Amino acid sequence: MAAHSAREARRFMWLCIGPLILFLVLVSITPTILAIVDSLRELSLTVFTKRGDFIGLENYRTLLREDPVFFSSIGRTALFVIVVVPLEFALGLAVALTINHEFRGRRLVVTALMLPTMVAPVVVGMMWRYLLMPSYGLLTYYLERYGILPSSTVFSDVALAYAVLALIDVWEWTPFMMLIMAAGLAAMPPEPIEAAHLDGAGPWQVLRHVQLPFLRPLIVFACMFRAIEASKVFDSIFVLTGGGPGDATEVVALFAFRTNFVKWDLGYGAAICLVLAFFSLIVAALFYKVVSHGAPARA
Amino acid sequence: MARRRNPVLWAAPLGGLLAIALLPYAWLVMASFKARADLLTQPPRWVFQPSWENYRQILVEKGFDTYLVNSLVVGLGSTVIAVTVGTLAAYAFSRFKVPAGNHIFFYVLAMRLGPPVAYALPMYLVFFKLGLLNLQAGVILAHATFNLVLVIWMMKSFFDEVPREVEEAAYLDGCGHLRVFLNVALPLSYPGLVTVAIFVLIFSWNELLFALILSAGQMRTMTVMIPSLVLHTGTLWGEVAAASVVQSIPVLVFTFVIQKHLVRGLTFGAVKG
Repeated sequence: MAAHSAREARRFMWLCIGPLILFLVLVSITPTILAIVDSLRELSLTVFTKRGDFIGLENYRTLLREDPVFFSSIGRTALFVIVVVPLEFALGLAVALTINHEFRGRRLVVTALMLPTMVAPVVVGMMWRYLLMPSYGLLTYYLERYGILPSSTVFSDVALAYAVLALIDVWEWTPFMMLIMAAGLAAMPPEPIEAAHLDGAGPWQVLRHVQLPFLRPLIVFACMFRAIEASKVFDSIFVLTGGGPGDATEVVALFAFRTNFVKWDLGYGAAICLVLAFFSLIVAALFYKVVSHGAPARA
Repeated sequence: MARRRNPVLWAAPLGGLLAIALLPYAWLVMASFKARADLLTQPPRWVFQPSWENYRQILVEKGFDTYLVNSLVVGLGSTVIAVTVGTLAAYAFSRFKVPAGNHIFFYVLAMRLGPPVAYALPMYLVFFKLGLLNLQAGVILAHATFNLVLVIWMMKSFFDEVPREVEEAAYLDGCGHLRVFLNVALPLSYPGLVTVAIFVLIFSWNELLFALILSAGQMRTMTVMIPSLVLHTGTLWGEVAAASVVQSIPVLVFTFVIQKHLVRGLTFGAVKG
């Protein structure tokens, strides 16, 4: 043990952690400082008069006080999360309970069920756009023919477009919930369930009083994780509706994207991005707390 | 695991679930082999004469082979960077008390949890000012940053599982820290390292937003190019389907390879399946 002194250990530790710090400074901290500077300017690539004059906190004031689109996009995102996450959790748990026993080819079945989550969200979006194409889509054709849908143009109705986007997200991410819940159920010691059965408990009572309490930390983790991911939803909406009809499905990620990279209003866009990053820092802190104390550790 | 059950009671719902999960994709695969006349029909056509025409159009005529290579370059580049930087850091987090370690790790986690637009814009500003938007460097660095937390968290848990006695024995034989890391800890965590690398590769390969913002022209990746087949004059569904299948087949193959570690990877190491 004497061969490696404390000084040598310290030097090696910095060798390990140094590249990470250097990397973060180069690709994250420096760009963020630049973005802060730009968020204080009136800078646009398309409007001739906005050439980069410093205007103090004006961008932030406009965003937080005067921009109705920003707040409605946050509202739409929040609604999306509130609808989608409980559905994904409930369905994911139900599926996990269905496959919660040994059978031949179980791992293959689970992997096959994971397809919606593993395929690129862009592909998922295009796939559903094809299935829901007016008149000719596989789904729209049969839904219209059997009178379930009044017309076959799904994405022209505000409420319907929103519901369909939510359902597609549920299709895409329920397998993820299933996977985590199945891992949790498989890690459960069998004795408490057997004891409950001996006491005459039915499957519902076992679920409510034995399995759910055991899964609690994992459920908190999984729902929080999904809520964070769902609040960033972009790919599938970008591909399916582009935010339309009108701006009915313009979630906050799409709003920030359009301000920066469609309108090229970079100063204002930088302010949006920094406000979002600030919010997400708070959420991440909450998440980190949950994970590091009473972590789901070993499912 | 629960008691034995009546096989009919769970096999039927399972079949239904598999159909829901797989049918939309199967329909897309079918579309990729359809001629134009078979794509837009009422009722939808289940039986048709399959052809490779859509794949030929995509890969030979439309030059999607370039975008496929771009996706691969971006994927491999970001994987090499994220795995190298992340594995070193993970070893430090696993074996030493890193000063402000919690803060550093939280910062890395926050970059993964935050909205990608918010982190892509600052990078865009830098690359715009440096005139580097026509290189893949931006996307590679962005994807590496995005995946760092996965590598650090997962590799730390794999390093934690390496028995300390093995390392102690190596120290007693006179090995320095670097040799212990390279010759003992790393080889023992090798299967974990491969799994992590595959996850980073998949996440990078599937990513859209960073690639959309930080690459241009001939440097664009598959995920950016697939929606570009939606034209004002009508969508080329056969080609969209073919490109989507080409993009997703490697993902499905790799998913199969790492199925044992899916839970760990998808929760970036926080839940050990």
